[in-house]
Amino acid sequence: MALALNTKRGMVTAALVAPAVAWLFIFLVLPFIAMLVFSVGERAPEGGYQPAFTFAQFANLPARSAAFWNTLVLAPVGSLVCLVVAYPVAYYLAVRASPRYRLLLVSLVVVPFWTSLLVRTYAWMYLLGSRGIPHLLDMIGFEDVRILNTPGAVLLGIVYGYLPLMIMPIYVSLEKLDRRLLEASADLGAKPVSTFFSVTLPLSLPGVMTGLALVTILLLGEYLIPQLLGGGKVFFIGNALVDLFLQSRNWPFGSAIAVTLVVVVVFVLLIAMRIAWKIAGTRQVDLV
Amino acid sequence: MISASTNDIEFRSVSKSYGAVTAVSDINLQVPKGAFVALLGPSGCGKTTCLRMIGGFEQPTTGEVLINGQPMNGVPAYRRPVNMVFQQYALFPHFDVEQNVSYGLRQARPRINAREISRRANEALEMVRLGGFGKRRIHEMSGGQQQRVALARALVNKPSVLLLDEPLAALDKKLRTAMQIELQTLQRELGITFVLVTHDQEEALSMSDLVCVMNAGRIVQLAAPRDVYDHPTDFFVADFVGKTNRIAATVEADGSTLRLADGSALSIPGRSALKPGSAILALRPEAISLHRQNGSASGKFSGIVTHRIFLGSSAEYSIAVEGLGDFLVTADRSDLADGELVEPNERVVLNFDPSAAHIFPA
Amino acid sequence: MSKSYKENAPISVEQLTNELMRLKRGSVTRRHFLGVTGLGLASAVLAHETSLFSTPAFAEDLGKQMSIATWPNYHDPATFEAFTAATGVAVEVNVFGSNEEMLAKLQAGGTGWDLFVPTNYTISTYVKLGLIDPLDMAKVPNYNASTETARFTAEGVVDGTTYAVPKNWGTTGIALNSTKIKTPVTSWKDFFQVAQGEADGRVMVHDYQLTTIGNALVSLGYSFNSVKPEELAKAEELLIKVKPHLYAINSDYQPGMRAGDAWMTMCWTNDGAQLNRDVPEIKFVLGKDGGEIWSDFYAIPKSAANKPAGYALLNYLMDPANAVKEHIANGAPTTDSRVLSLLPKEVTSNTIVYPPEAELTPLEFGAAVTLTDPARAEVMARFKSA
Repeated sequence: MALALNTKRGMVTAALVAPAVAWLFIFLVLPFIAMLVFSVGERAPEGGYQPAFTFAQFANLPARSAAFWNTLVLAPVGSLVCLVVAYPVAYYLAVRASPRYRLLLVSLVVVPFWTSLLVRTYAWMYLLGSRGIPHLLDMIGFEDVRILNTPGAVLLGIVYGYLPLMIMPIYVSLEKLDRRLLEASADLGAKPVSTFFSVTLPLSLPGVMTGLALVTILLLGEYLIPQLLGGGKVFFIGNALVDLFLQSRNWPFGSAIAVTLVVVVVFVLLIAMRIAWKIAGTRQVDLV
Repeated sequence: MISASTNDIEFRSVSKSYGAVTAVSDINLQVPKGAFVALLGPSGCGKTTCLRMIGGFEQPTTGEVLINGQPMNGVPAYRRPVNMVFQQYALFPHFDVEQNVSYGLRQARPRINAREISRRANEALEMVRLGGFGKRRIHEMSGGQQQRVALARALVNKPSVLLLDEPLAALDKKLRTAMQIELQTLQRELGITFVLVTHDQEEALSMSDLVCVMNAGRIVQLAAPRDVYDHPTDFFVADFVGKTNRIAATVEADGSTLRLADGSALSIPGRSALKPGSAILALRPEAISLHRQNGSASGKFSGIVTHRIFLGSSAEYSIAVEGLGDFLVTADRSDLADGELVEPNERVVLNFDPSAAHIFPA
Repeated sequence: MSKSYKENAPISVEQLTNELMRLKRGSVTRRHFLGVTGLGLASAVLAHETSLFSTPAFAEDLGKQMSIATWPNYHDPATFEAFTAATGVAVEVNVFGSNEEMLAKLQAGGTGWDLFVPTNYTISTYVKLGLIDPLDMAKVPNYNASTETARFTAEGVVDGTTYAVPKNWGTTGIALNSTKIKTPVTSWKDFFQVAQGEADGRVMVHDYQLTTIGNALVSLGYSFNSVKPEELAKAEELLIKVKPHLYAINSDYQPGMRAGDAWMTMCWTNDGAQLNRDVPEIKFVLGKDGGEIWSDFYAIPKSAANKPAGYALLNYLMDPANAVKEHIANGAPTTDSRVLSLLPKEVTSNTIVYPPEAELTPLEFGAAVTLTDPARAEVMARFKSA
């Protein structure tokens, strides 16, 4: 009887999980296997892939070392800047905002997601171009300010584009934060600043780590924002991949880079989880 | 900390409203130094608001709260010489036990050196019998242990007043009783003022030496536990503190005779004249004696046992009295002639000493 | 590479919204936009409403549906509507950002295209890979080889067999803002010098190795199509030297030029004509030292599902009466003298669209190997990541 029940329950579980597993298998595992196979192949003379077994593509990775380097700098720096901007917003939403307006304000954070990042980034091109913000600066006496196609514009675009992804997990962890812990801290003599650094910040770290991991991982694959707001002068892994797949059609080399990127992402995730566990002192940390 | 002969807490005409809702109105209260006072009342009576105004988590709308004779209006929580044991303890989950306990010491300015902090934290842990648990994580501690960590965390700062917000609510009954004794002992040893908020009258009566019964944002009675129980100022207190039977009655013109709903008259001797009109006769269950109805027994009322709760040495009976409704009676087994329990559906007679009754205007 | 993108009006705040809405709808106007986003697969079905009553007077059954792969805004939508009205065949239009994408898609199979528009230097590759059919010219009676310019038909013929017929041609020149740049620019040599001098921080090159490396090679006196390592090394050196002075590496140069952020850019014929039309101070010049001339072709994939309809549409488009409307709509120069004679004077007299023959002499057609050479791809990657 119990066995029958268990079997039945197991089958229900299997039925519920099956679509997700099938989805992951078809859209994640299979493509990854294809990518692995491609990465040990050779580029056909006219481009594309021809079967082979060689690690030449991996040996050639240094040819894109600049792209790797730029990306590995951009991703953490970009997500840290994102964090610095996002935290106060999340804090305000979760702790300070009146509960009456909280939902409205939180949805305002998410609203930009209803429009494609591409279109919004295009809008920034006009805002940062000489007829946009520089024009306004010109009117108040700052002449010939160039913003578009500078690293600053790329950073701005990144912060703008990924801010909601950073705000939301931090907001969630701050919202879950037991207010009595803050009162307890004040009760024990901690000034607000001290309370923030001793209690609020450490307890919101799971959210912070989630946000950092999320944004860093997405930034590792970013190519659109540097392309559009950076004038294509800064070259990231994402841009290298686009060129290799859509322009020079060197699929095996592109695959080798993609495989390497996946390895880097997994590595970043592991480090992030380690840190989060260490800080939270428990293994019950939901990272992504 | 602050030395003052007036080391106590004082509420001067304190009111607190949230928008249109008044939580507390016109509270005047003085807590003598070293007292163990319990704020007792049903939920929503304003007792927690009062505690939070002492702690500095709420500011009075009007009036003033004083600690050690110092007005506290506008003084933030972190500058008040009081500490609090929070409901469900509010321990910091990311710190270990010792870090929790030493938290207050680490906030002190000028800074206290690390060795001293550690020494005092462990001393506080010893005090609550948790020596050696310093490196444990909070989630590894049981409910009772967490309770004691919270206590140590609050006491390590040597506050002049310790605030306790329903500190025992999350514990099982046995542990609760043990902690009641422990808290009482601790308070006597330390000699500091304890302000306890509770909705549990038993807890208030057993631990405190001053009970402040609150209802609907006001103080209805402030007295020693025994006085509150024996001489409730109104029916609310009588009913909330302990159990009571409510019997509707009318005071006759003579000011000493009560007419009950079943038409019987009851003479209440030895009291100042009662105000004629409708009244409530309040009778504690243990003030009523119970006898099996047989030929000889006579009593004021007679009824049938409808329900019995066995409590070991005693039992609680529900008795349906004709014309007067249900009565609750507590009777020790030894009080009954044969030492046996009365069974449901048995007919019984009830007696009581009229001087033990409380009569309140309805 | 084909590059006729009916550009937007000058960028103004009012029109920004309009433009964004167009982008959002997927009627994307820029090759670059597509290339960058991979949105090149966006397709639009035009003229879906087939007439129930028109009985097509064709010998073969043309079916109800066909598909064409082409460049964004490269056609007059009315052409397809008219074709549908005449034949009952609905035309699905797939737009692409690059030849490479088209090639990749066709190579992967299952496209369902019955007609597509490859650029000259890709045709031999398609033939080599066996992806396109020789054209049965009997089914394209409207095509007349004798009225075509031989230069533009040549690459459609591989080993004596006609695989593709030309749609239109164009050049890759220099667009520059004459109010900002006073130094005369008449060659690619000038282009790269001014980029490091007077127009420092104001010059754009394509995010496309064929033209960017090709023009750098030309400025150094080498062939546009060179794949010689030592020549490529020189070109790379030049590009990396110029890079810090560039405004952007971006094939989407119209907005920057129109806004005045960029003063000079590598530019395809149609963009040059449009920029000059809307902002007269933007001039379009061809390099005296050389550069690219190109033509786009029509070809039929071997895998076409509905070849009869593909031929029918091709023949329809080769009719000068239809072709002239196409040319007025997209503005690219025609290869067919019959069409040229039908075009209005103001079109044919535009020297950006129809430059004097002498200016075309130094230009080179891109070669197949220029596009597929891995060494050039690596030079481009090093230039962009420098």
